[in-house]
Amino acid sequence: MKVLRYLRDAAVFAPCYLLLDWVSYIHPLGPFNITPWNPQPALAIAWMLLGGLAHAPAVWATIVLADGVIRHFPAGHGVTALTALVLAAGYAGIAWTLRTLLRPHPSLRTLRQLTTFVAVVAAGTALVAVGFVGVLYAAGALQAGAAPPGWLRFWVGDAVGVLVTAPLLLVAADSEQRTRLRALARRGETYFQIGLVAATLWLLFAGLSGDPSHHFYLLFLPLIWIAIRSGLAGAIIAIAMVQIGVVLGVHDRSLQALPIIELQALVAALTLTALYLGVMVEERERAAESLKQSLRLAAAGEMAGAIAHEVNQPLTALGNYGRSGQMLIEAGRSAELAGIIARMLAEAQRASEVVRRLRDLFRQGTTHLERVPVGELLAAVRRIGAQVQAGATVSLTVAADEGVPDVLVDRLQIELVLRNLVTNAVEAVAAHVPGRGEVAVTAKRHDAGHVRIEVRDTGPGIGAAGGERVFEPFVSGKPMGMGLGLAVSRAIAEANGGTLEARAAAHGEFHLVLPAQTHG
Amino acid sequence: MVEPRTEPLVVYVVDDDASIRDSLALMLGLGGYATRLFADAESFLAAFGPGWSGCVVADLRLPGMSGVELQGRVRSRGGAIPFVIITAHGDVPAARAAFRAQAVDFIEKPFDEAQLRSAIDTAFALERRRIDTAELRRAELKKLSRLTAREREVLDLAAKGLHAKEIAARLGISPRTVEVHRTRIMEKLGVRNIAELVRFAVAAER
Repeated sequence: MKVLRYLRDAAVFAPCYLLLDWVSYIHPLGPFNITPWNPQPALAIAWMLLGGLAHAPAVWATIVLADGVIRHFPAGHGVTALTALVLAAGYAGIAWTLRTLLRPHPSLRTLRQLTTFVAVVAAGTALVAVGFVGVLYAAGALQAGAAPPGWLRFWVGDAVGVLVTAPLLLVAADSEQRTRLRALARRGETYFQIGLVAATLWLLFAGLSGDPSHHFYLLFLPLIWIAIRSGLAGAIIAIAMVQIGVVLGVHDRSLQALPIIELQALVAALTLTALYLGVMVEERERAAESLKQSLRLAAAGEMAGAIAHEVNQPLTALGNYGRSGQMLIEAGRSAELAGIIARMLAEAQRASEVVRRLRDLFRQGTTHLERVPVGELLAAVRRIGAQVQAGATVSLTVAADEGVPDVLVDRLQIELVLRNLVTNAVEAVAAHVPGRGEVAVTAKRHDAGHVRIEVRDTGPGIGAAGGERVFEPFVSGKPMGMGLGLAVSRAIAEANGGTLEARAAAHGEFHLVLPAQTHG
Repeated sequence: MVEPRTEPLVVYVVDDDASIRDSLALMLGLGGYATRLFADAESFLAAFGPGWSGCVVADLRLPGMSGVELQGRVRSRGGAIPFVIITAHGDVPAARAAFRAQAVDFIEKPFDEAQLRSAIDTAFALERRRIDTAELRRAELKKLSRLTAREREVLDLAAKGLHAKEIAARLGISPRTVEVHRTRIMEKLGVRNIAELVRFAVAAER
């Protein structure tokens, strides 16, 4: 089976390699395959990188075959066998190095991986070029004077070819990137971007007179736009388009070899810019996504803690009733059990209510919007205040204006936010004034559809600069703080259709605005 | 000779959760304990009297005043009744505060009966010892009050380890008289020898 799979892979690889070699056999130096654009090594490297070095012999055979079919062995069979050996060994070396350095997974997801890829390809192809040109020179097929420019052209051709084409193959092999590509294909913007790149290419090679490399900078604009908007996947597609456009344009204009080298150097610069931008954009997106995930987990963790406390009360009562029941049976007073069992059922009901909330919470952001009188939230504030200021000398005043409507919120979640705000306020006051501090919680009508709960303390406040920063995750004013409390609180407030703001003042002040139950 | 106690030991439950109060009263009642229930610290303090003996089982988180704070308030009013703190939050700082305030035990909800019972029994044992000591001391004071002023002087000097001759020289009386006083003192206090007398005198000076 292994042999069969090997042969099948080789049967796909060889024709593709031959096709790419044939298409890119332009502006050669003499009769040799020293051209300014060589995409086919990318195919060989990607195959060995993803499939393993066991493919190296097949790569060697294919290179020999290509030289025979396309160029009819310009330096003789022996030299072709030798140069093919240099190439196959060189590409295998690049593939092995990348495989080792891009562990655990050969992809271009991080800047480190991209830098590794670029460095290995640049250095590896330079060495391969030395070997290839060196063999031709040693065999007497190349003049001494033609060797240095030959090396340069071979190197640029290989390096640009691999830098442009290999990422395309790696992206195609990466399921996450394939998903991105599919998403891009569904976006109208993508087609507009493709059109823009095509138009710029046309302008460069047909629209504007003179050397296309003088106007090449125009291509940076659409490429940067694409890389920023569409990440690595978009950048790679755009780069491939530019490369094909450059090859077609050069073919059409029949330019001399030197400007092509210049153009390919520009393509290399463009490629590096777009690849780096694309990877950077994706890395940022992934970091933002994982932060969002950990915030959600932190919120869930805090909620779970609050709920665990709630569930402990009925559990304790259940245990007590159960033990009482046992003692009644031991005492032969089984007739009295009925009353106890009724009470046990009530406690079990209470516990399961809490557990249902917990389950809903983990079922991804479900909020239980219910009509809650503001007075009940304030009662919770008093309860929380009594708990958090255990020992501290902080006075807590809680008040509501006349006629404040009920709110439509998830009671547990909003209580968690209030717990956070009140705890912060009490801690700020206790740390600031050693004597007596005050925390005031007031409920007011915010506008027709909203209620505002203000939490004010006599602590130092956050200052004008701290205004929005306190909501950033991992920014904490407390020595032991994780800096997640306020970020989570704001997320919860917003999930409930409200807002949470810090007031810049000489004292601490937070405004929690919640949607009111306007009718019914 | 300690007279038997008349007041029984009571478990005073302070918890704001009605189900916890109800179930604890039932379970402890069936276990043979007398209980009294309070929904918060304030109502307990309002009712608390100096003669109360037994054990307070208080929730850590109570509206208004925590269980540990309540213990502090009881102590500042001279109450020595032992406390068992229970909580649904097993938080370390609270436990540390409770032990620093000399709670007998700190129990996390949910607990089982054996755990609570052993804490209460420990508290009761402490309470009995406290009551016994207090009654013994009351009895000693009563006996001391029966001594005359001169006998008290002799006792105080004897407690300092002075011999009859030295006491006689200090008080300007004959050694013989000192010995007579000493015999009367030993009779009144119910001690058999000089060593016991000295021990009694040292205890009385506390």
